[in-house]
Amino acid sequence: MTTPDTTSANTKLFLPDFCDVRILFSMVILAELLAFTLTLGNPTTHAQADWWSQLSLVSLFIQWVVLSSALVLCVGRRWLNLLDNGKAAVAAYALLLVITGLASEIAYRIIHLESNSTHLEFILRNLTVSGIISALTLRYFYVQYRMKQTIESEARARLQALQARIRPHFLFNSMNTIASLTRTQPALAEEVVEDLAELFRMTLADTREQITLKEELDLCQRYLHIEELRLGERLKVTWNMQNLADDTPLPALIIQPLLENAIYHGIEPLPEGGAVYIIGWQDDGIINITVNNPLPPQHPNNHRAGHGMALENIRERLAVHYGKQGELLLERSDTEYQVRITFPTAQKEP
Amino acid sequence: MKVIIADDEALARQRLRSLLGELEGVEVVGEAANGKQALLLSNDLTPDIILLDIRMPLMDGLEAARHLGTLEDPPAVIFTTAYSDHALAAFEAHAVDYLLKPIRKERLAHALDKASKLNRAQRHAVTQASAPIGNDTTQSTHRARTHISARIGEKIQLVAVPDIIYFQADSKYVTVRFAASGQTGQVLIEASLKSLEEEFAGRFTRIHRNALVAQAHISGMIKSKEGHHEITLRGIPDQLEISRSHLSAVKKLIALHAA
Repeated sequence: MTTPDTTSANTKLFLPDFCDVRILFSMVILAELLAFTLTLGNPTTHAQADWWSQLSLVSLFIQWVVLSSALVLCVGRRWLNLLDNGKAAVAAYALLLVITGLASEIAYRIIHLESNSTHLEFILRNLTVSGIISALTLRYFYVQYRMKQTIESEARARLQALQARIRPHFLFNSMNTIASLTRTQPALAEEVVEDLAELFRMTLADTREQITLKEELDLCQRYLHIEELRLGERLKVTWNMQNLADDTPLPALIIQPLLENAIYHGIEPLPEGGAVYIIGWQDDGIINITVNNPLPPQHPNNHRAGHGMALENIRERLAVHYGKQGELLLERSDTEYQVRITFPTAQKEP
Repeated sequence: MKVIIADDEALARQRLRSLLGELEGVEVVGEAANGKQALLLSNDLTPDIILLDIRMPLMDGLEAARHLGTLEDPPAVIFTTAYSDHALAAFEAHAVDYLLKPIRKERLAHALDKASKLNRAQRHAVTQASAPIGNDTTQSTHRARTHISARIGEKIQLVAVPDIIYFQADSKYVTVRFAASGQTGQVLIEASLKSLEEEFAGRFTRIHRNALVAQAHISGMIKSKEGHHEITLRGIPDQLEISRSHLSAVKKLIALHAA
């Protein structure tokens, strides 16, 4: 295997976990289908009574082989995990053939199946069938495993590309604020440096990282602290958070960019500034956050670039993390702009 | 050397002021929070140099520089910005200078030095360069102005675009008719109706070879004694002739506004 994937020991091996009841159940079903096919394909059984007894015998035998194989693979998984997938495949294949061989030998001794085949013929025939079916099954598992890997790595790449970004404008303006404050109010300058550090630590962090709602709202506060210094009287912020589950996990920087947008597109272009409202409420396990800002009078052919990019980014990240439960909704009038995001409190698998 | 600082952030102005205070022969005569204020201040204070932030509300630095360019003897413009974006890149080649925030003292001194040595023609070249030239400029710089400026003596008079009721061209000048806070007025500018029509497309409509009218100010249409159609306007008694070729388009527009 060339994929440098080491996300967890469980996904390294291409074989599914045979200790898992669901996997075991599907193996039993597959085994029964195989028994059915083999019996159906046998021309020597014409009479109905014969046919049923033949099916039960073949089923018994195949289930026996399959279940004991599953057991061995379940127990031996830890050992197989140490091998790379190529060797693990060979080992598993050999194991399956050995189990088939042993089972055939025992079966031949206990019940003398049809008399028209010799001992050796019987063993060889079973081994051939098992060899073909095992190879196909292993191949199937491998293809499935690769497919899952591809999907996962694509999702990871997508998340990476969706890495939350803070506008360079904001970074350099903040640096300028710090430079200005250093002369007159060093203590305040220090605070801004701390706030800025927190924000950028989060921006540079791994995208898969989740933080709690409380941590995200703290980041928002730090961000607003800087903007309030920069814009002074022009920026007013009103918070209203109604009993939100503080520990709800969420992807980092999913709310902060909404505030950044509100300030960039709404407050900064207004000479007198305005108020940003951030409201949160919880409804039936779904958290709603709205950010509302005034809009400057529109010039027909004069709009700021980049509008919507940040929102599209958040929309996609919500979709990746929450599926249909993560939404971003827009509402705009001539003078106001409102964004609402929703996500569940308890995270379900995407 | 008289300098005006224009930046919408108080802390940014404060820093520039203290940096400038450390340089010899520099006097900060005024501070503005947006481009419009900067222009009005420069009317009164006739600075030698204006430090213009690019991103400001009401009127940005690029537009303010463009209006300054209409002056006979404009001040030298130095742009300041937090981050070099496209608008700036398009302009870079012609700038006296532009400074990236946080601004270094040496860079500032150097820029002021350079600006003080420019002659009038060079200063013109700088401010002209921030205006879109023809149609080949990039979209980012080719934006509609928020104000129209007329030169009266050595001063700039600004008319906010939403206040303009119509443009009417005669042989050499364009008359800009406007109403602001209950008062009507007019200024003369040097421009072509064609370029104004392009710049403010969607806001003004051509009704005659010589007239562009603000759609928002159109109130109706009457037929004059001579038998041709004239447009009536909100907030102003003037009536303008509609030429035959524009009649159907104007009718549609009036119907749309009435609906």
